[in-house]
Amino acid sequence: MTEEEQQMIEYIVRLIRKPNVSIDENTPLVSSGLIDSMALVDLLLKLEDLTHKRIPAGKVQPKDMNTVALMFATVERIGKARK
Amino acid sequence: MAGSMTGFRNLIDALAAAPGDRPFVTAWIDEDEQETVTFAEFRRRSRSHAKMLSEHAVRVGDRVIILMPQGIPAMTAFVGAMMLGAVPAFLAYPNFKVEASKYRSGLAGVTANLKAKVVVIDVAFPEEMLGHVSISEEARLLRASDNKNLSADVDLPELERHSESLAFIQHSAGTTGLQKGVALTHAAVLRQLEHLAHALRVDGTKDSVYSWLPLYHDMGLIACFMLPMVYHVRVVMQSPLDWVMHPETMLQIISEYKCTLAWMPNFAFQFVPRRTPRTRWAQYDLSSARALINCSEPVRSSSMREFENAFSPIGLKSGTLQSSYAMAENVFAVTQSDVNRPSSPKQICVDGQRFRSMHLIAPVAEGTPGAISFTSSGRLLPNNEVRLLSDSGALLAPGHVGEILIKSDSLFAGYYNRPDLTAKAIVESWCHTGDLGFTLEDELYVIGRKKDLLIVGGENLYPQDIEEIVASHPAVHDGRVVAMGLYNPDLGTEDIVVVAEVEREEILTDTAEVERELRNLIVAGIGVAVRTIFLKPPKWIVKSTAGKAARSTTRDKLLKEHPELNVESGESSTNDRRRTTDD
Repeated sequence: MTEEEQQMIEYIVRLIRKPNVSIDENTPLVSSGLIDSMALVDLLLKLEDLTHKRIPAGKVQPKDMNTVALMFATVERIGKARK
Repeated sequence: MAGSMTGFRNLIDALAAAPGDRPFVTAWIDEDEQETVTFAEFRRRSRSHAKMLSEHAVRVGDRVIILMPQGIPAMTAFVGAMMLGAVPAFLAYPNFKVEASKYRSGLAGVTANLKAKVVVIDVAFPEEMLGHVSISEEARLLRASDNKNLSADVDLPELERHSESLAFIQHSAGTTGLQKGVALTHAAVLRQLEHLAHALRVDGTKDSVYSWLPLYHDMGLIACFMLPMVYHVRVVMQSPLDWVMHPETMLQIISEYKCTLAWMPNFAFQFVPRRTPRTRWAQYDLSSARALINCSEPVRSSSMREFENAFSPIGLKSGTLQSSYAMAENVFAVTQSDVNRPSSPKQICVDGQRFRSMHLIAPVAEGTPGAISFTSSGRLLPNNEVRLLSDSGALLAPGHVGEILIKSDSLFAGYYNRPDLTAKAIVESWCHTGDLGFTLEDELYVIGRKKDLLIVGGENLYPQDIEEIVASHPAVHDGRVVAMGLYNPDLGTEDIVVVAEVEREEILTDTAEVERELRNLIVAGIGVAVRTIFLKPPKWIVKSTAGKAARSTTRDKLLKEHPELNVESGESSTNDRRRTTDD
């Protein structure tokens, strides 16, 4: 796991405030109901911060954010340089 | 009832009268990808969809279900059906979280209830969500290809006597909502739009609408599609998912297209400022906006203030934020705040004690200890009336809280094919809304709900849909589940909270696995995430005399046991818990 993935996991643990849930890079977040659609923006903003990239609207779907591993793969695929 | 003053016999006439070269819909995908169609091009594409439907034997009065992602093709398929005198209905596009079997059974139910002739889907529609068992026997499946270059050469029926016929059917979310197809006539829709356009001083040559609202929801369908179509106004639209994942795009689109009008549920008024990094606010300009209307959730003055404080430095004018009370059963709006008032909707402070104990509205000065504040939803539109009814069914005077009943010239024709549900909703021509409110000085204030309905981010959810799923888990005592909405001041909307009794006390020693399974079940069933699940010992849930779980008393008990959940009272201190995104 990369340093950024680890930071993302720590961020998610703080965000969902569920101490008895453990998360790794392959834990489903959206399809498991841990993250609701209104929290996806928090993950995207964090992801942009961690990767120093911009993730354009309209190119990313909730399923692309379902696990930490998928999130970083999504940035690889569609992330753009910051303006 | 008299026809519409707009002079149009039906919605298709209104579209036909639009200036062909004026832009109608801009579908905004991202900063590098947008598509705009003029009214002429929109008509041509709608005719080509009409042609396709007509080739599949769709005729006047047939029901057509449209299952397409938010965008221009979905809109032209909808209008194409109306051009044939058929009755279209948008349903929500599948959400990847929802299990295919659940989606299929919901779809089968609704196509059967509507006796739909065809179901129109897009080319990318996920196959597993269909299967030939998914749709009722009579319904045919049509895959709408991109109709940009298709022929629009079709004979359309003459619809001159079509004003009192059904124009379309509108559904709300969940399996319960799908049974309630709100059937609306052309005349009712035109009358509603006329009242609304007048109240908002809509001008097609100057206005443009911004929308991220789903087309299957009344705000998206009526305010942001039918109103622009009939009053020849441009609409710049994005998908709800794209918006919720990038709420900042609202600021971007309004700035770029100089939009003047938008509707949003309450939570969006704090979601946008909180989820747009503060360092980027200055890139945007909201000075073009003249009415941003808070609608479809109870209006919170704190959410309105937060939006105004955040964005007045980037051109948001005082008096731009407005409010409205709307429901699909009335086509859309019942009230609208006064767009000519120099400041935002009226707010009043009332004595909290008398409000809670006597359901009485006693205005007090702002800042009075124990006071709570309410924001008005505005005055009634013309030909709309309200009554307030007490629990015992007595008519209430202004200043008393009761159930809101409405009567108007745009009321729905009934829930499609469900006279039983219609008879419950409309009694002696008054529609029982299930919402609670009061009137004061000719303005309506909506404060909550009598009926059990959750409104999450402006979308209606029925608690029984969630309860049924939770009760199906083997660890949960059958029937002993209550789902409720609790206001979350951080989000400006309700959180879904579930309380369930376990079968045996010992299950409570380790609940993590059961909670995880319940979350999975709920999201697979209806696609929503539950904020908190409380598992309680047997006999914890309060039962009604009929032996069913009593929602309101269980809610009271939960709030007593978990005082941290109780944030309803008062509008104060909601900023304390805010998260910021600019760190």
